[in-house]
Parts: sequence; C-alpha cells; structure tokens
Amino acid sequence: MTSTSLATAPAPLENRQIALVDLLDRLLGTGVVIAGDVVISLAGVDLVELRLRALLRTVEHDA
Amino acid sequence: MAEQGRYLYAVCRGVTPEAVDGIVGLGGGRVDLVSEGDLVGLVSPVDLDEYGEEGLRRNLERIEWLEAAARGHDAVVQAAAAIAPTAPTRLATIFLDDEGVRRRLREQHAAITTALDRVEGHEEWSVKVLTRAVEAEPEPVPVAGSGAEYLRRKREEQDARSASDRDAHLAAERVHDALVTVVAASRRLPPQDPRLAGHEGTMVHNAAYLVHRDHSDAFLARVHEQSDAYPEIVVDARGPWPPYSFAMLDES
Repeated sequence: MTSTSLATAPAPLENRQIALVDLLDRLLGTGVVIAGDVVISLAGVDLVELRLRALLRTVEHDA
Repeated sequence: MAEQGRYLYAVCRGVTPEAVDGIVGLGGGRVDLVSEGDLVGLVSPVDLDEYGEEGLRRNLERIEWLEAAARGHDAVVQAAAAIAPTAPTRLATIFLDDEGVRRRLREQHAAITTALDRVEGHEEWSVKVLTRAVEAEPEPVPVAGSGAEYLRRKREEQDARSASDRDAHLAAERVHDALVTVVAASRRLPPQDPRLAGHEGTMVHNAAYLVHRDHSDAFLARVHEQSDAYPEIVVDARGPWPPYSFAMLDES
C-alpha cells in the first residue's frame, strides 16, 4: 500500500478525472442522503467517515 | 450463492433503458433502471456478503476496496450525468430489492425533485486556493549562546508565514466573490490535508461551484482573470464534474 494513489497528480485545468481525495469528500460528505435498507443510519455514516479519515492519515504516515 | 442487494448510484429524471444500456456497475453488474413516477433510480446488483452491513464495515477500512468502490460509483454517475439531470447518492446506498428503492423514491419525491431542479443543466467545478510553497531556509547550526537569537529568528519566520497566509485568505475571499457572480450556487468544503491531496503550500480555500453548462467558458475566464490578478496565490480549478456537492436533500 502506498500513498501514490491518494495524491493529486498535477493535472491540466480541465480534468474530468477526480482525485480520490476530492471524490471521497463528495461521496461521503455530500450527495443525496437517501437512507438505504442495509446500513447505515446517518450517525453510522459519520462514524464510517471518521474512521476513513483516520485510515487515510495512517496510510499517509506509513508511506 | 450469496444474497444480492441493489446498489443505488443516483436518481435521475428522463432516462430511458436504452440510454443506460452497456453501463457497467460495481463488480461488473448490469446497471438497471427502477422507475417511480418521473424519478428513475440507477441500480445494479451487488453481493450482500460484500455490501451488507458487516461486509461494508470490514471493506470500508480497506483503501483499495474503497478506491475501487468510489471509482465504480463515479463511473456510473458520470455516465448518467452526461445524459440526464442526475442527483448522485452517497457511497454505498444499498437496498434489499427494487421495491425498497421505489418506496424511498416515493417518500422523498419532493426533496429529490427540488435537488434535480437545482442541478439540471449544471456541472460542478472545484476551485482551491493555495499559498505558494515557500522554500524552507536551511536550518542554521545552532551555536552556543545563540538561543535568544535563534528564537527571535524563528518567531520572525512564523510571523512572516502567518502574514502571508492572512494575505492569501484575503485574496481567496476576493476570488470567491468574483466567481460567485457567474455561478448558480457555491459550497465551501473543508481545506484538505496536504499529505492526502499532495499539494504544497497551505490550502486556504476549497469550494465547489455549480455552473450552468452555458456559463462554463465565462466561469473559466473568470478563474484565469482572478489567477492573474493574485500572483501570490495558486488558483486550482478542476472540472466539470457531476453535481456531487449540490444534490443534497434539503430536509431529511
């Protein structure tokens, strides 16, 4: 596991490829909040988010 | 054989089955439409061993799994947003069956309609403002008796840095003020950690802008103009993306 996949590579101004960190900000932080059947109460999602951030930081530190 | 659930990627309006033909979902599943009135959910089958509550708890901790899921989700959303008004859902919105999806679309019809009205014809642009990375002075070797001098120099460096961050914040506010005149909506996001985003300098502004398709050129021209006006900062614009930051439901 390396940090390279997380880094925003320098990209031209118009770029449809979304850096992972930007994508996760959006897919976890925003987006229509429709509760699914399976998981995830809003509180659950927020917990997931917190854990993810901790995980991402760990990955970075290890790199 | 594991039980299957339905992964909901986005809710759209005016999508026909032919339009999504050939779009591939997570794990290679076929993307189907689930209609409820004028709303259409984009779903694909997923394995509940992987996407059930227990599986998600395990898998969301794995960065490779997370990246693949986020990329797969984004691919479907991008395909949908290219053809119809699209409100993306949060990552890992899973239903047990199509009837569950329909029920939720029925319950949330008004709020989803408001969100779709807001984003129809629009795209999202990301704009970040960063301070220019300063080259670190080589740390002088401390000499005996130079403690006070060393501390004084440290403080001066710190003062200079916070003054430059303050100037960058002010410049970022002016950039933002100039951009909001050509956008439909804006949303501030928390500045990102440089270790994650891979940037140098301090991120003093991270925002999403909802821009009408017909105004993209004007928006980009404004970005360039602002970038030229404030050479002391870096203005980093990316897009156009699906309207991820503007499809939230107002009440829930």
